[in-house]
Amino acid sequence: MTTDADRPAATRAPADEGARLGFRLTLPAQVLVLFISAFPLLMQLYISLTDWSPLTGSPWPRAWEYWNGFANYLDLVSDGRLWRSIWRTLLVVAVAVPIEFLLGLGLAMLFVDDFPGKRVAYSILIAPMMVVPAVAGYMFFMLFQSGGPVNGLLSLFTAEPVALAWLSNPSTALVAVIVADIWQWTPLMFLILLAGLVGVPQDQLRAAALLGASPAQRLVTIVIPRMKTIMLIALALRVIECIKIFDTLFIMTGGGPGDATQTLSVYIYDITTQDLIWGYVAAIALAILVVLSAGAVWAMRRMAR
Amino acid sequence: MRRSLAFECFRYVAILVALVITLVPILWMVSMAFKPFSEWQATGDALTWIPRDPTLDNFRFLFGQSGSDLIVALDRTAGKPILASLLSASIGTLIAMSAGTAAAYGLSRYGSGANLPLALIQLRLFPPMAVMIPVMIMWAFLGLMDTWWGLALIYGIVTLPFAFWLMKTFFDDMPKEIEEAALVEGCSRWRVLTRVTLPMMAAPLAAASLFVFILNWSDYLVALLLTTRDWVTIPVYMASLSSSMTGQLYGAKAALGLIAAVPPVVLGLMIQRHLVRGLTFGALKQ
Repeated sequence: MTTDADRPAATRAPADEGARLGFRLTLPAQVLVLFISAFPLLMQLYISLTDWSPLTGSPWPRAWEYWNGFANYLDLVSDGRLWRSIWRTLLVVAVAVPIEFLLGLGLAMLFVDDFPGKRVAYSILIAPMMVVPAVAGYMFFMLFQSGGPVNGLLSLFTAEPVALAWLSNPSTALVAVIVADIWQWTPLMFLILLAGLVGVPQDQLRAAALLGASPAQRLVTIVIPRMKTIMLIALALRVIECIKIFDTLFIMTGGGPGDATQTLSVYIYDITTQDLIWGYVAAIALAILVVLSAGAVWAMRRMAR
Repeated sequence: MRRSLAFECFRYVAILVALVITLVPILWMVSMAFKPFSEWQATGDALTWIPRDPTLDNFRFLFGQSGSDLIVALDRTAGKPILASLLSASIGTLIAMSAGTAAAYGLSRYGSGANLPLALIQLRLFPPMAVMIPVMIMWAFLGLMDTWWGLALIYGIVTLPFAFWLMKTFFDDMPKEIEEAALVEGCSRWRVLTRVTLPMMAAPLAAASLFVFILNWSDYLVALLLTTRDWVTIPVYMASLSSSMTGQLYGAKAALGLIAAVPPVVLGLMIQRHLVRGLTFGALKQ
């Protein structure tokens, strides 16, 4: 960065002009990022050290009147509802994302070479991820009604008509929520993995086939090594989004019955809007930000290797 | 590569199954949207896949016209929520695209704002739920609660990472020679950007804008927390559509769901080619 001073003035001037323009162009984005990160984080940290809530009647800057040190952070360690919601979220991620990945990969492999009707089939298959998630939630809300089409279809295979109340039964509500997530987001895996598969050199595959490699061998020795980064990107994207799961789920079950589908986002939503214990919510939110940041840094280090 | 007949059969069957599973939930909603009140709750053997008596009553009902066999009336019609969604999503897109495009260009050509790529990825990583308390406090303080412009501002920030990353990869892909030639000709840097670069980027700009618009249009959680009555968006309004007399207003909700679902699906199919790039923050191109 010391080279500027060494350069003759004539060439330095345009470079400076460029740097100035660059600075001005990036300024709005920088301001927006700062506006949504720095100030809210400090505010959150401050509130998290207090017992303040909007019900106290004092404005938030005077939250110090309700100072309680690190009590909120100690509380969250022993908050059973919080931990159950975290495990539930991880369970959804652990079940839904691998299924989405395998289905997406399987479908993508069927789409590598051309066949009649490919474009139409492709367009239809990627449609679910463009449906507004709340609307997708409502679709599955209707499908899983006890008199709805899912039971109607199941009844075709059973002697007695099925009248399972999927969404109000604690043991099936989470299944229904996961099915909806898989329906909506398998297309994303399919789309990304197909883009990666198309990039695998076909002549290598052909040569391997001629030499007698089975499809499974070709997959393991040629396709997967070449696709490793893309697979990681697809998985990382879905894990990140799935941890946040809210819209579809909230429309389908509202987190219920009881707390059977109360994931982390739903739990925070509930204590934000019903319990209104904002000091405590702020502590949970900050803890999540710290854990997720650490997780992201760790993941990036691993990926860089 | 020549494939066996068995493989071709398997392929068609598998794709057919996937297509059916993809389409059934969508078609059920479409069907429900055109069902008269009497068929909403039909169950068991009476389950109707295709409305026996197709009607537009559900759409009429949403916009406040009676004439259906539904006795209840809405205290608010769907018009305002649709307007709220349109306004907040499009102005939010405008904010994200302006700030994002400018920053992407600044970084791509002049190396300014080197912190932005990572900062914006981080912004995307965090669950919105985890920053909503300060946002709600700030929005209340700034008088932005329950307004479409308040929503537009937060949408602009939430989708800024996508706008920035998409435009950055488009600028990185664009050959610099033309701009350099214009500079040598004596064009100012600003004029190069507005008269040379941006017109050349019209198609990518349009694709990125549509992509960002879809994301903004799809929001539910943020609007749920930041709007209460006057400017609720379609998803929030939809969730509130139920009445003590009829319970869930299945048909009306389905009709509204259809109205909400059509624009993003149509726009999304228009920008198919760019979807992978957009969704992976430009890491992957198709």
